Amino acid sequence: MNVEMRDTRRSFGKNRAVAGVDLQLGTGVFGLLGPNGAGKTSLLRMLATVLPPTSGEIRLLGRDPRGAAARREIRRRLGYLPQSLGYYPSFTVVEFIEYFALLKEMPSSAVPGAVAAAVERVDLGAKARAKLRTLSGGMLRRVGIAQAIVNNPDLLLLDEPTAGLDPEQRVHFRRLLRSLGGNSTVVVSTHLVEDVGTACSEVALMSAGKVVFRGTPDELTARGAGHEVGDAPLERGYSAVLAEARS
Amino acid sequence: MTIPNVPGRLPPALDSPDGVDLDRVWAGVAAQVWRRHPGWTERTAARLLRSPGLARALVTTPSLLMPWLISTVVAFGVGALVSIGPGQPLVWLIAPGVAAVGIAFAYGPGTDPAWELSLSCAVPDRMVLFARGAAVFAVNAALGLLASTVSGAAAALTFGWLVPMTAVSALALAVSVTARSASVGAGAGVAAWTITVLASQTASGQATAAATNMHVYLPYLAVAVCCAAVVGYATRPQREF
Amino acid sequence: MMDDDELIAAVAAGDDTALRELFTRHAPWLAARLRAALPPSDVEDVLQETFLAVWRGAGAYRPQGTPGAWMWVIARNQAALLLRRCGPVAESLPEIPQAGLDPSEAALARAEIAAALDGLPGLDGDVLRLMYVEDRPVAEVAALLGVPAGTVKSRAHRARRLLRLALGESR
Repeated sequence: MNVEMRDTRRSFGKNRAVAGVDLQLGTGVFGLLGPNGAGKTSLLRMLATVLPPTSGEIRLLGRDPRGAAARREIRRRLGYLPQSLGYYPSFTVVEFIEYFALLKEMPSSAVPGAVAAAVERVDLGAKARAKLRTLSGGMLRRVGIAQAIVNNPDLLLLDEPTAGLDPEQRVHFRRLLRSLGGNSTVVVSTHLVEDVGTACSEVALMSAGKVVFRGTPDELTARGAGHEVGDAPLERGYSAVLAEARS
Repeated sequence: MTIPNVPGRLPPALDSPDGVDLDRVWAGVAAQVWRRHPGWTERTAARLLRSPGLARALVTTPSLLMPWLISTVVAFGVGALVSIGPGQPLVWLIAPGVAAVGIAFAYGPGTDPAWELSLSCAVPDRMVLFARGAAVFAVNAALGLLASTVSGAAAALTFGWLVPMTAVSALALAVSVTARSASVGAGAGVAAWTITVLASQTASGQATAAATNMHVYLPYLAVAVCCAAVVGYATRPQREF
Repeated sequence: MMDDDELIAAVAAGDDTALRELFTRHAPWLAARLRAALPPSDVEDVLQETFLAVWRGAGAYRPQGTPGAWMWVIARNQAALLLRRCGPVAESLPEIPQAGLDPSEAALARAEIAAALDGLPGLDGDVLRLMYVEDRPVAEVAALLGVPAGTVKSRAHRARRLLRLALGESR
């Protein structure tokens, strides 16, 4: 199990962002759905070791992130794309990805090859030496994805990775996702239901800090039978589960 | 099945002769063509710090980049040339303010747009803070000392400002980290130093007493230590995000 | 749409996207030619070194020959370097007697000739292959192809000229 969470909670003052989540994740692509404010970003931040839980247990890649040495080892094998990622405007695509490859303590000799591979995987080969300030929003998002995958992470966390991508790029992104889930745990947090449908083997739905559904995309679709809100089967399942959780 | 040749992507593997992976070949070529060759400073820093990542973080410190360094040199140059009295070039007045601004912009969410991502990386952000802060302080101190010596200031004025510079820099860093804004931190540092100098002028009629009066050195150092403690607390690992 | 000469000039000026375009255009056929003499992993190594050499040496290119030929020469040299380092490879290639060539040169010469032969139109290519690759006498070739012996001889003469031209292009 790459991720183990037991009754994990996170509060900010009175706001209970994550209100008791139990999660065990092995390899594969895992979708995290839910409306804004459901607690997805806080959950992902805890998985990225950026935020400690207020209570409850977390184990990542078999280690307890409370210890400094364990945390460092986890972070070497972690890839993270935050919901809002700023850029260094004067850096080029390659320089930006290389910077985080170095910060993740990849061996220097492996860095150029890994950076080139990551750039090509997100289809930015023609822009490799372009300065980030010349890129569009969708391209910047792809740079963010590239830095997350550069160290071939065992645990890959993507928060709203398709924000700003056009439909063709989203198709390419889903293909990339499928290729990543082979040996690692990928957690994709999104409020776009269709991003999750074909690429994820399992889906969890969060509402008000709790996980209200866990299962395959087909099972989520099945929950939508007879429900009217939603244009596609998966969306109807999503709305149905949310409606139940809120009632 | 033909995959449409999207601009920017290499042609599909269907076009490769048997067993030859052209995508892999291109990745190998690109790795060498695109690679960045670190300069001497970065290579030396990587050896000394035993971390290429920390070295890269150090040489990309905003307040150590060439434009900033040039501005700092110019500021100290002005300080060396301009005097308000005999043997009183203005280096003592400028140095703490310049250093405070430099340190406020060296680290933290106020100055690093990818700060949340940096927090999730293996190189601990406290080490980045320490390396960058120490480097900015050292560079400013060295430039200031050079300007002071060259301009022929009296001994007390040549070195005295190092103590208030430590205090004001620590204050600027503490404010920038807690307020999450480098500008606010820089402003706080400069304001605090301005107030101190004016107070010194009012109290003793001598503005330079802010840097040369040994009786205030202990309070300065106390301020520095307190601010360092604040910074230490604000940057503790696993802190509230 | 830039032509190859313009792309190489752009590469010489430091444009990596031009190198990428050159790779897209030329790597497949270079790989195919090399594949006739080398196993896939060696082809990959040679191709990589070839394009790095193009990247570094684009400034020396003078647009008089064809860019493809220039690149093939670089590839050929890189392959020779590799073979000299690692020793010749046991690949089955048409046996053409090579007097005085070292094994690495011979392997490449075979690859070149095989590639050039592929480029010759039908009957001419067949004649050359049967007479010089398979070493058959004129009478036998005539019988196999169902043409008079005189035709075989004149076709062989023409095919040799065409082959010389084809091989000459790649020098």
